[in-house]
Amino acid sequence: MATEVSSNLKKVQVRRFKPKEDPEQNYLNAEKGIWSWLTTVDHKRIGVMYLASVTFFFFVGGILALLLRTELWTPAKTFIEANTYNQLFTLHGAIMVFLFLVPAIPTALGNFFLPIQLGAKDVAFPKLNLMSYYLYLTGACIVVFAMISGGVDTGWTFYTPYSTSSSGAITIIVSGIFVIGFSSILTGVNFITTIHKMRAPGMSWGKISLFNWSLYATSIIQILATPVLAITLALVAMERILGIGIFDPALGGDPVLFEHFFWFYSHPAVYIMIVPGFGVVSEVITTFSRKHIFGYWAIALSSLAIAFISFLVWGHHMFVSGQSTLAGMVFSFLTFLVGIPTGIKMFNWTATLYKGSIKLQSPLLFIFGFFFLFLIGGFTGIVLATIALDVHLHDTYYIVAHFHFVMVGGMVMALLAGIHYWWPKMFGRMYNETLAKIACITIFIGFNVTFLPQFVMGAQGMPRRYYNYIEQFQIFHQISTIGSYILGLGFLLVFIYLVKSLFTGEKAPVNPWGSRGLEWQVSSPPPQHNFNHTPVIVHGPYDYHQPMDEFQLGLAESGNGHGDHADIKIDRDEPNREL
Amino acid sequence: MANDSTATSQPKFLQHHFVDAEQQFDSAKMGMWVFLVTEILFFGGLFAAYIVYRAWYPDLFVEASIELNTVLGTINTLVLIGSSFTVAMAIRAAQLNQQKKIVINLAITIFLACVFMVIKYFEWTHKFHLGIYPGQFYTFEGIPHPKASVFFSLYFLMTGLHGIHVLVGIGLMIWLLKRTFNGEFSSKYFTPIEITGLYWHLVDIIWIFLFPLFYLIE
Amino acid sequence: MTGHHISTNKMLLQVAGALFLLTLLTVGIGYLQLPHPWAIIAAMGIAIFKATLVALFFMNLWWDKRFNAILLLSALGFFSLLVGLTLLDTLYRVPIIPEF
Repeated sequence: MATEVSSNLKKVQVRRFKPKEDPEQNYLNAEKGIWSWLTTVDHKRIGVMYLASVTFFFFVGGILALLLRTELWTPAKTFIEANTYNQLFTLHGAIMVFLFLVPAIPTALGNFFLPIQLGAKDVAFPKLNLMSYYLYLTGACIVVFAMISGGVDTGWTFYTPYSTSSSGAITIIVSGIFVIGFSSILTGVNFITTIHKMRAPGMSWGKISLFNWSLYATSIIQILATPVLAITLALVAMERILGIGIFDPALGGDPVLFEHFFWFYSHPAVYIMIVPGFGVVSEVITTFSRKHIFGYWAIALSSLAIAFISFLVWGHHMFVSGQSTLAGMVFSFLTFLVGIPTGIKMFNWTATLYKGSIKLQSPLLFIFGFFFLFLIGGFTGIVLATIALDVHLHDTYYIVAHFHFVMVGGMVMALLAGIHYWWPKMFGRMYNETLAKIACITIFIGFNVTFLPQFVMGAQGMPRRYYNYIEQFQIFHQISTIGSYILGLGFLLVFIYLVKSLFTGEKAPVNPWGSRGLEWQVSSPPPQHNFNHTPVIVHGPYDYHQPMDEFQLGLAESGNGHGDHADIKIDRDEPNREL
Repeated sequence: MANDSTATSQPKFLQHHFVDAEQQFDSAKMGMWVFLVTEILFFGGLFAAYIVYRAWYPDLFVEASIELNTVLGTINTLVLIGSSFTVAMAIRAAQLNQQKKIVINLAITIFLACVFMVIKYFEWTHKFHLGIYPGQFYTFEGIPHPKASVFFSLYFLMTGLHGIHVLVGIGLMIWLLKRTFNGEFSSKYFTPIEITGLYWHLVDIIWIFLFPLFYLIE
Repeated sequence: MTGHHISTNKMLLQVAGALFLLTLLTVGIGYLQLPHPWAIIAAMGIAIFKATLVALFFMNLWWDKRFNAILLLSALGFFSLLVGLTLLDTLYRVPIIPEF
């Protein structure tokens, strides 16, 4: 339907809707009692429940990590049996990947802020959103049940033929992950539809926040990749129950086929984990530089590029699996490409900081940590994309270090930045800024002490998932273990002062950081329906040169705008405006 | 003073976070299409396995396909196409507010879907009778190829997963039938029928591919 | 709900009829035992055509918002990537040990 731009321009009467400081009614106290939480369809409450759940599982996974690192203090047995050790690293991986990393930013921060940043009252399918949450919880319970009813020792990657033939609660755990996969898919359905159909009047695609662009790209990956994981896990279960043989060479099957199907999901999955983190980085950097983002469209479109290219590279997990040399070379080449859009983002963020009015508060501090650590993680990824190097580094601690740098150093730092940034909005409280800075530095130091030695020992040949090791690696393991305790303390500190702030924190103003984002133009915490008016958008969320009140406009009369209209021409009949 | 709940009373089916019925309907359709994308990739994994194995064992697929009854497969294909037709007619009836025709068309769709499942049941039990079971339980001696069980494993997995989707579709349409009797649908609101129809058409499309891939390899 | 296309009885019947005929056609071609690779090309070609008819005229993509059709095409595109890149491995393996 081709139309000229001018035919889409509508004249609307707007007025300013100044958000109330310290509102009595907000989404937290609008309805009371636990039943109102368990049956809520409010995306903000669902986001908070997700935040609590992923935090819980993060600590479970973290404790498993500490157990592993403690066991690795000495070669051979320190205090755990070898078989138990195998189960511990499997669970650490499965819990961290499926119960924490994949859901965390989209479900906790995304659910909360996507609709508000679009100027909508909720996501497109609020009941489906609640169902997503219960699917997540159900799947998580099934995974925990697998843990205690026999355990799983295949590694979180469930490679065949071991996973199809080993005793252990594998069928149960893959069922749990299957259920969580549905949660992920439904969240993706919700986000894509919401972004397309529920934008406030005036919010063209060029005015959507970069956080929402990142959630859009993430949702695309979720809906395309997760179903393939689902069918792969179902096939593993079928192979165990019925002896199907798709992955069993004795029956004419191929175990490498499992790896193809598994990594077709699991490689894009790592982008599901990190791309929302990139979105958070964009939000925090602009706010704390008080400057328009450098290269809005470059960052927005690079998220989509990453989403696409991420599907072309999965074979780089399989260079030594026995796949054909041709496939190996193609995948290696394509993997180099995926670094390009990410690199574009890093340069654009740096350029945003340049000549900005920088406020070095804790959210930005976490972002600086992200920069350093993700950069190392990303570069080592390019190292691993080189087949000649990967042949030696595959299944060593180099890989372990690489993915912890991108996942913990990248994604978790971004998540913490986002939690700190949006905490005042979500809960109406300020946390202790000094403690936050201390925690950030503790985490940064602890992380580096834990994982930098792992690059070295990996390059020297220390294999991953090994319970035992030779003398020359002990010093690296011990340094790494000490680091892991420092890291754990840092996370614990974050948890303590954030929870404490809920009870004794200073009341948060509407806009503590002076951001131009739409979520900062509603009260802290937001009202139950986000907006009691229909917001009208005239500027993008990074237009720091525009006065604040022009970000608080709404339709003056009742009557509603439509999701997909283009720009709206504002009739300015008030010559003097207060800021 | 500005309040965006409209001055005119809102229709019962309009959810509060939507601006108007059209936005709600378009969103539901888009959401269903996104879900169908996931279904395509879900079945896609199995189709990918099929393609890999057929490329490796082309002779096996030719030999084993003989065991499948082409007549029953053809009938089932026509049955599903018919059911797609009737569900499209049900949607048309809803658009024209023809309550009786909605009921009739939904009922026929359900009936045809059940016919499909009955035929499937007979096909499967006939195979079991011959010793053709999935995976390790396969005991049929009639096909000389050593990897014969792979073909039938794929057959049972793919038609089985498809069958589960048919059953879910039947359940959904029975629910739609009940809601139609309750007078919930009209030309102003028939979204559930529309999106269930989309789901059902995809189930039909998947069978359109399964049929030649399993039954017509000669 | 203004502006939403209502299919005519005639159009739906014609599409259903075409699908019926194409089904019988594909079965008939199966009996012809065409040489490889024409058999599979014909079968898949007809299947794709049938699926397209269902998508365009039963699922209403012909009159619907373009984005929904883009969704469908992207799903098929990514499916092709799954198959294509996997075949790049499975079809090009060199047997290392000759007896296997």
